[in-house]
Amino acid sequence: MVMDAKPDSHRTTGGAPSARPPKSRINWSWLGVVPFFAFAIMFLILPSLSIFVRSFEGPEGQFTLDNIFAIFHGRDFINAYRTSLTISLITAVSGGIFGFLLAYSVILGGLPSVARSFLLTFSGVASNFAGVPLAFAFVATIGNAGLVTRIIENILNVDIHARGFTIYSIWGLSIVYMYFQFPLMVLIMAPALDGLRREWREACENLGGTELHYWRYVALPILMPTLLGTMILLFGNAFGAYATAYAFSGSFINLITIVIGAQIQGDVLYNPGLGNALALGMIVIMSLSMVGYLTLQRRAARWLR
Amino acid sequence: MAFLEINNVSKTFGKTTAVKDFNLKVEKGELVSFLGPSGCGKTTTLRMVAGFEVPSSGEIIIDGKDVTYEPPNRRPVGMVFQSYALFPNMNVAANIGFGLKIAKRSREEINQRVNEMLELIHMPGYGNRYPHQLSGGQQQRVALARALAMHPEVLLLDEPLSALDAKIRVSLRGEIRSIQRELGITTVYVTHDQEEALSISDRVVVMNNAQIEQIGPPFEIYNFPQTEFVAQFVGTLNAVNAEVVDPKAKILKFEGQQLQTAFSLDKLHSGDKVMIAIRPERLSFASQEKKANILKGKVQNITFLGAVVRIQIGIDSLNFYMDTFNNPYLALPKIGEDVEITCSAEAVLALKERKESQG
Amino acid sequence: MKKVNIFAWFIFILGIFYFFLPLFATLEFSLRMKKGVYSFEAFRVAFEDPKFYQNFGYSFLWAVLTIIFSLLLVVPTAYWVHWKLQKIRPLVEFITLMPFVTPAVVLVFGLIRLYGKPPLNLTPTPIPLIAGYIILSFPYMYRSVDSGLRAIDIRTLTEAALSMGAGWGTIISQVIFPNIRVAILSGVFLTFAIVMGEFTFASLLSWPAFGPYMEEIGSMRAYTPQALSLVSFGLTWFSMMIMQSLGRGAKGEEQIAVAH
Ligand SMILES: Nc1ncnc2c1ncn2[C@@H]1O[C@H](COP(=O)(O)OP(=O)(O)OP(=O)(O)O)[C@@H](O)[C@H]1O
Ligand SMILES: [Mg+2]
Repeated sequence: MVMDAKPDSHRTTGGAPSARPPKSRINWSWLGVVPFFAFAIMFLILPSLSIFVRSFEGPEGQFTLDNIFAIFHGRDFINAYRTSLTISLITAVSGGIFGFLLAYSVILGGLPSVARSFLLTFSGVASNFAGVPLAFAFVATIGNAGLVTRIIENILNVDIHARGFTIYSIWGLSIVYMYFQFPLMVLIMAPALDGLRREWREACENLGGTELHYWRYVALPILMPTLLGTMILLFGNAFGAYATAYAFSGSFINLITIVIGAQIQGDVLYNPGLGNALALGMIVIMSLSMVGYLTLQRRAARWLR
Repeated sequence: MAFLEINNVSKTFGKTTAVKDFNLKVEKGELVSFLGPSGCGKTTTLRMVAGFEVPSSGEIIIDGKDVTYEPPNRRPVGMVFQSYALFPNMNVAANIGFGLKIAKRSREEINQRVNEMLELIHMPGYGNRYPHQLSGGQQQRVALARALAMHPEVLLLDEPLSALDAKIRVSLRGEIRSIQRELGITTVYVTHDQEEALSISDRVVVMNNAQIEQIGPPFEIYNFPQTEFVAQFVGTLNAVNAEVVDPKAKILKFEGQQLQTAFSLDKLHSGDKVMIAIRPERLSFASQEKKANILKGKVQNITFLGAVVRIQIGIDSLNFYMDTFNNPYLALPKIGEDVEITCSAEAVLALKERKESQG
Repeated sequence: MKKVNIFAWFIFILGIFYFFLPLFATLEFSLRMKKGVYSFEAFRVAFEDPKFYQNFGYSFLWAVLTIIFSLLLVVPTAYWVHWKLQKIRPLVEFITLMPFVTPAVVLVFGLIRLYGKPPLNLTPTPIPLIAGYIILSFPYMYRSVDSGLRAIDIRTLTEAALSMGAGWGTIISQVIFPNIRVAILSGVFLTFAIVMGEFTFASLLSWPAFGPYMEEIGSMRAYTPQALSLVSFGLTWFSMMIMQSLGRGAKGEEQIAVAH
């Protein structure tokens, strides 16, 4: 009670030196972040918003849903979304699982510690090695005259390309995308696996649990938010990828990013509203996956709050 | 036959010897604590009992059964970790009931046992909290309950209180002791806090350098340390090198002053070197009536420690500490004053050299 | 434990195989330009082309500009947020993470539609390109600087410096910057690696850069593209190595790149 008597004299002597006039109660410190927010609004938020608004605009600027319907009418667009989604799902799940196992083996699998630093270095490089040069690398590997193609042909006498495999297919592109997908998983899972404390495993054993019990009841539930989050990240990573597919000289494979890129270059069908709607579709899918992630994570990690 | 036996156990990690020739028998219902400086092998010994480490040699027997090579999940042992090690993804009830769930007990049985345990640790109603919503002391009590829920035959605690602040440490160790007595569970308690070890244990095992220095009840460890290490590690001590003057009459001398001990010097000869030790609280100012065993010195410093006043007295080049109970009406000497101090012959301990004890 | 170990080795070797096979194949491929013998002919051809140096130079220029403006934008903001505006930190964090979920194609599409015509026609200038790159760099820049600031108690440091009468220039240059230099540099090199190989923005905004150049060569020639691919890999490798040796502590999250 005594302390309450003169609260103000305490407060003003704290952070702010004498310069501030006592009248001003407004907090001016937000001014310091104005440039950042101005930039973000101008080059990130407004462009996204304009896509949203213009998706519902006709040629004369009137409100319309035609653009949205147009997506569902053109079979190519739906197919492009489907192809993109399929590749993203395949590489997110398989890249996620393989990356997780890889991170597990170097961190908890009892491999020498050089293996670990080696893998982490490589993952850092490989997760950033994408786009055009990655496409070339895989042309040299599993393309028509690629090393693996030739080896298989020489040894097994099988021409995989004659049997229908092509690098421009969903599976071919998935193999290529895996090159940057699983290293990303490794990079994120490694610290998470490091965070599993030895005592948890020992406590579990001490209480009669086996290795399986430990993973089922302790380790996986603890890792689940990170696992899910990273898989969503991988999904978005593949979903937005453009350069790699484009470098296989473009239109062999009908990805949604390629379609939008073509729209930008303005050669296909000249309908700006449709382009906006296609881009909006991508934003919606990404947002949905984010929302899905957040709900899953909230459920998986009740114990965090 | 003892309930828990650790026979001739040694453990080496590569070139380091963590535990060497460890021998201990713990009776049923007894609380034994391991006391020693950091790195002396306490945790390693405990982990071998729990089954997390396999001894390099020797055997571990629980209730007549050799468990040396049993995996941890098949030992009747409950463990409480220094860092609590509660599963962060489970609430308190699920943590306590985890072992029972693994053992596929019925839900009713688990619930009932969990509630019993929550009562035992005085935390009923906390079942739905998650570990991060508990204080450190509460977390440690839950960890204790989790270890006890499975009715283990041996309870192991590895510095369970070292992450807590002093007040809670004292109250929680009392609580642990009373729960342990109530359940009559055989317990090994690791600590590097000598006060904790002395106050909680039936017997204390003092370790140093991977080896046992002395085993005994707290009273004995404190009052009759057998080695210099034990004497130094447990409590404050005045230890000096002295020379035997007359082994029959038990007279020693150091810095030109003579002192009598009550302990036998039979094996020694005149002129032999021996280390002697006197606890500060056994020293007092010499009075007119009592003029035996006098040491002359000069007051160097006086430190007020609350219930006790510690006086530092210089005897030639050596410093002696003397403790007296605080009494506001007692006149203390001034710094720089010449004083005479004394102690009974029983207070003068002659210690074994470190090398002898190893033999 | 033994069984787990074999499994771990198996996975590890599989992973290493996945890493190296394409690199090895690329090298082998690039050496096959002359019929019948392995030669560095493809590299010679690649390095002979004056456009190689031109485009490389352009990419370098874009990278430098991006880094400068990104730093100017991110460092003061992160600092200010740490010092004065802890409340809005989640918002700033959210914005800096948005590029992870906004595909580059979509962003560039929005930029062109918004700034590609009057009243604000920016597409003749490299502003949309650099702006896009800065947005791309946000996650790495902000996160490295943020973790650098988190590692030191900048509030106490700033207030201590202020109380000793230091001016703002002194505080920034003598107190804050030296403490987060490593964090900043790791953000810088990651941004560098990303911009140097970037294709989507440069191509769709029609600016010369190394990425589109490689693509162009790819559609014109055989063997040389693989040589360029290795050059590009070397560049990424180089940047990552520098980053690793810089910040042993700042590994992990900061190395994660997403924009392809
Ligand atoms: N897994 C291991 N590998 C190698 N050396 C180990 C291992 N575990 C323990 N040691 C070594 O064995 C010795 C004893 O360690 P231990 O953990 O038993 O000490 P402690 O008495 O519990 O110490 P503290 O009080 O610090 O916990 C130390 O020198 C330690 O470095
Ligand atoms: Mg220990």
